[in-house]
Amino acid sequence: MIIINDVYKRYKSERESSDWVLHDINLTIPSNVSVALIGANGAGKSTLMSLIGGVDKPNKGTVERHCRVSWSMGFGGGLHGALTGRQNAKFVCRVHGYEDDIKARLAYIQDFAGIGDAFDRPVKSYSAGMKSRLQFGLSLAFDFDVYLSDEVTSTGDAAFRKKAADSFKKLADHSSIIMVSHDEGTLKEFCTAGILIADGAAHWFDHIDDALKSYKDGRPK
Amino acid sequence: MSNNQHIPRSSLTITLAVWKALFLREALSRIFSGRAAWFWLLAEPVFNVAYMVVIFTVIRMRVVGGIETAVWLVLGMLGFFMFQRTSSQLMNAIKANQALFAYRQVKLIDTLMVRAGLEGFLMIFIACILLTSLVILGYSVMPADPLLMLGAFFGLWCIGVGFGLITSVVIAMLPDLGKIIKFIMRPMMIISGVIFPLSSLPPQIREWLMLNPVAHGIESMRLGFSPYYHAVPELNIGYIFSFALGSVFFGLALHRRFAIKLVTK
Repeated sequence: MIIINDVYKRYKSERESSDWVLHDINLTIPSNVSVALIGANGAGKSTLMSLIGGVDKPNKGTVERHCRVSWSMGFGGGLHGALTGRQNAKFVCRVHGYEDDIKARLAYIQDFAGIGDAFDRPVKSYSAGMKSRLQFGLSLAFDFDVYLSDEVTSTGDAAFRKKAADSFKKLADHSSIIMVSHDEGTLKEFCTAGILIADGAAHWFDHIDDALKSYKDGRPK
Repeated sequence: MSNNQHIPRSSLTITLAVWKALFLREALSRIFSGRAAWFWLLAEPVFNVAYMVVIFTVIRMRVVGGIETAVWLVLGMLGFFMFQRTSSQLMNAIKANQALFAYRQVKLIDTLMVRAGLEGFLMIFIACILLTSLVILGYSVMPADPLLMLGAFFGLWCIGVGFGLITSVVIAMLPDLGKIIKFIMRPMMIISGVIFPLSSLPPQIREWLMLNPVAHGIESMRLGFSPYYHAVPELNIGYIFSFALGSVFFGLALHRRFAIKLVTK
């Protein structure tokens, strides 16, 4: 369960008072419910994601994580360009305290990413799709209760998406995903509930279809 | 990969795991980040020192304050690099490691601590290479007071850590002030008495220059090498460590105070 309590967030800017990106967010994301974050570009989806992931801190309010939450995957963040995929994977294993069975996890990541020999080449030589394959493999190698995915599936090809979807369905009995994507099909495939972000406010929908419908109508609620 | 048994790790376990992971990652990226990067990592400071030594021993004097010029210069430059390289590694750590904060286990201060440790480690390697080269060239490098020499070397590392901790915060919060700091640091090598003896200056100027703890550290290293070295009369070994303690404490306090501001955008 993740409890977002009275959260306000704005970014530093040249002018003293920038507008609130998010204001007065109160949400409780229950366990085992996969949630889609929906909103226009710049609405604050990624901001909310980084607050949930604990990478960024709100200006006001609290985010409580009562479960194991993954880091937010997306846009090559957290990968070091000069190091190989394997070296990056080792780093993530060590940070998460899985030193003992590092070999098995590396094998799993290599197999899941399916990028062949490129696993031993520097990450900066990867295409966007290869990066997201690696990131997806990385996060699935660990046992999280909630996985955070920021557009990470959108760059993969059809075969990889199917693979990702299948593994998430396998995990679905004890894990869930919080996902940002502009692709409706992906959202419907993975998520059951939705959060619509508009004008800095967040609205919870129990069913993803209602959230998408409301988003398309241009009016929350 | 699932095992449903989950015991939360203690904060100390997480920090130690992060330090280990970061240390290996930093070391790897320093060593393999370009063609023969491992070679340049060690060769750059060694060449730097060798260049100076050749110029000074060929053109200028053979002996400075009772120590052979080559040894005198190598000790001075080793001490100075210990300070300068450590502090500049810390100064640039925040920007260089931004991508790592995607993992919430990794705190900003972890990356700085690991960088400081790695730089100290590399400097010990570089010191070994340079001193071995001097032995091969026929110089005696056995210090008379090894403890004082190593203590001063360590003191310079501590000053580098303290200075790096403080400036990393300053540069992140006030980028303009960062430019001024870099400007002020430029003549640091000269005013710390690395390439000319501070004891040759008049006392009125020395009084001011000896406010700089790096000068104290470098002179102490030379004094530890030979007890007959004519060190600067104002030399105070306690000053190095009180300055180091003060600056590390202040730097850590700044990082504690601005921990959230430094990583949020």
